[in-house]
Amino acid sequence: MGKIIVLIAYLVYGLFCFRFLLQVFLWYRAARQQALSNVGSGNISLGMFIAAALDVIFFRRLFSTNKLLWAASWTFHLSFLIVFLRHLRYVLNPVPDVIIFMQPAGVVAGYVLPCSLFLILIMRMVGNGDRYVSYYNFFLIGVLLMLSLTGLLMRIYFQADLIDVKDFITGILVFKPDVLPDSLMFVIHFLLALLLIAFIPFHLFAAPIVSMEARKREEGLGMVLHEK
Amino acid sequence: MKNKDPFGKELSIAQLMELDACTQCGECLKFCPVQEVTGRSEISPPEKIRMFRKLINATGGFKNLFGRNNVDKQLLDDFTRAVYECTVCGACGQNCPVGLFNQRLWPVLRKEMVKHGLGPIGAQGDMPRKIKETGNPYDDPAKERYSPWFPENLEIAEKADIAYYAGCTGAYYAQPMVKGDVLVLGSIGKPFTMLPPEEEVCCGFPLFITGQFDMLKDLTTRLVDGYRARGVKLLLCSCPCCVNIMARDWPALYGRELPFKIRHITQFVEDALKKGKLKFKKGLKERIIYHDPCYLSRGVGIIAEPRSVLKSIPDIELLEFDMHGLNSRCCGAGGAARKVYHENAVAMGRLTIDEAVEKKADKLVLSCPACYEKVNEAMKGYDKQIKIVDIMELVSELIN
Repeated sequence: MGKIIVLIAYLVYGLFCFRFLLQVFLWYRAARQQALSNVGSGNISLGMFIAAALDVIFFRRLFSTNKLLWAASWTFHLSFLIVFLRHLRYVLNPVPDVIIFMQPAGVVAGYVLPCSLFLILIMRMVGNGDRYVSYYNFFLIGVLLMLSLTGLLMRIYFQADLIDVKDFITGILVFKPDVLPDSLMFVIHFLLALLLIAFIPFHLFAAPIVSMEARKREEGLGMVLHEK
Repeated sequence: MKNKDPFGKELSIAQLMELDACTQCGECLKFCPVQEVTGRSEISPPEKIRMFRKLINATGGFKNLFGRNNVDKQLLDDFTRAVYECTVCGACGQNCPVGLFNQRLWPVLRKEMVKHGLGPIGAQGDMPRKIKETGNPYDDPAKERYSPWFPENLEIAEKADIAYYAGCTGAYYAQPMVKGDVLVLGSIGKPFTMLPPEEEVCCGFPLFITGQFDMLKDLTTRLVDGYRARGVKLLLCSCPCCVNIMARDWPALYGRELPFKIRHITQFVEDALKKGKLKFKKGLKERIIYHDPCYLSRGVGIIAEPRSVLKSIPDIELLEFDMHGLNSRCCGAGGAARKVYHENAVAMGRLTIDEAVEKKADKLVLSCPACYEKVNEAMKGYDKQIKIVDIMELVSELIN
């Protein structure tokens, strides 16, 4: 059982690297394609960069179109980030002080995460249900929801041996796999994490860049016919 | 499919990233006019992106590496329909939580379809031939480009700093609009030139918007060189689509900086009003509502100038649509889809009419020849009626 899970982990890791490299290849090929128009997309100033960074961090564009979805999405992303950072204690040795310091926040975020996902799910079903359904979107929300719930169950009811978990995870990372922890809930949680990595949405990498371009474009719109 | 090349080769890196950046959240559907009149989510923006990603993967991605590059015919048909039924108004991108520039993305996806022999559709495919033979996409005679509407008492200078480009849709299908333009220019009093009717060819926008990019360079070069030979320093135009391609794409197509500035006519007229070179001789005690053309507001950021011109008319009351400025709703004429998906276009035009009537406007003021043609058409046989007028048509009536 342990060997199979280790094998799946390496397969997922390989698949992720392959997907990423393929995407980089497609971007590289497109980089040689000259865009027809570059009017209104000049150099980015420091002020514009800061504004664009704030757009990305605070999801400004979503805020202007759907405030409730913004609240749920922003809370989800923030709590996911905190939970992710909290999980670094299973990977890093020694554990940095900052990760130790943020453990209480990580626990709170662990409760907030599924709540925000539920809210997003409800809004997707109520808001767009009769008009637009993205199965990939629902799939991702489902995986994240199960991932967060199994995480919570492990914290509250089905605690795994943290030493075993850390040995197992670090063992995989240094290609010296250790014994699988004796916890079914951990196995489910770990497999769900692998599933998320296998289907990780590439908008995670592309959306911040596109949002920055959008800010640049918006600020340049006034210059298309008003300068020179 | 004629061309077996991978899909996605025509996209710039920014556009490819836009495809990846779409989270399929579906927020844009609330702003899509095609969704508003059809309710068919299978032709919605996120679906177009999802389908095109599949086409990229099927022909140049993961599956292709294992020799499985056969593309599902149904997928090709569905995508072709979705990308050509769109009016390319850009409202989806304007309201996209990530910030996709869809007003420029969709024409490039259409270009992909053209390269693969799957586009354009319907009468759009005949446009290059018509433009080659007559200079316009409608197959109308070049010699009749100006004669039906150009006022006899106005003079066109042989050479001048200022030039006026009428545009094909205005010259043949929205003549009160282009007539209003030249009457206002005449009243301002500065000499202006125009290319001879046979030389004022299509600006390239109808080809660009349908994904047929092959003739763009040639058309641009002919027009720019024509104006340069007349010593033009400022090119004026009232058609938002023409202005859009002139300002955004002509420099790249021409290969260097243009020898003249491009301005929308409302910018020039606003300036003339402010400097006292143009004055209204009478007012208008009416409630008017102004519709922002997609390629003027979202396209090149001309939002304040038309309003400034309208507000300077004595006694007038200017109303706004609920969705105006950068968020204006397409009138239905966009994307060269109006001839193929006529019913959608009429339904969208009627949404504009409905709101104008509901707000008890006396006049619906437009600023685009395609909007002018389509909204007038949408009103035929419709129970709600409103007087439609172009902005310069209205101004010309009040200055003379």
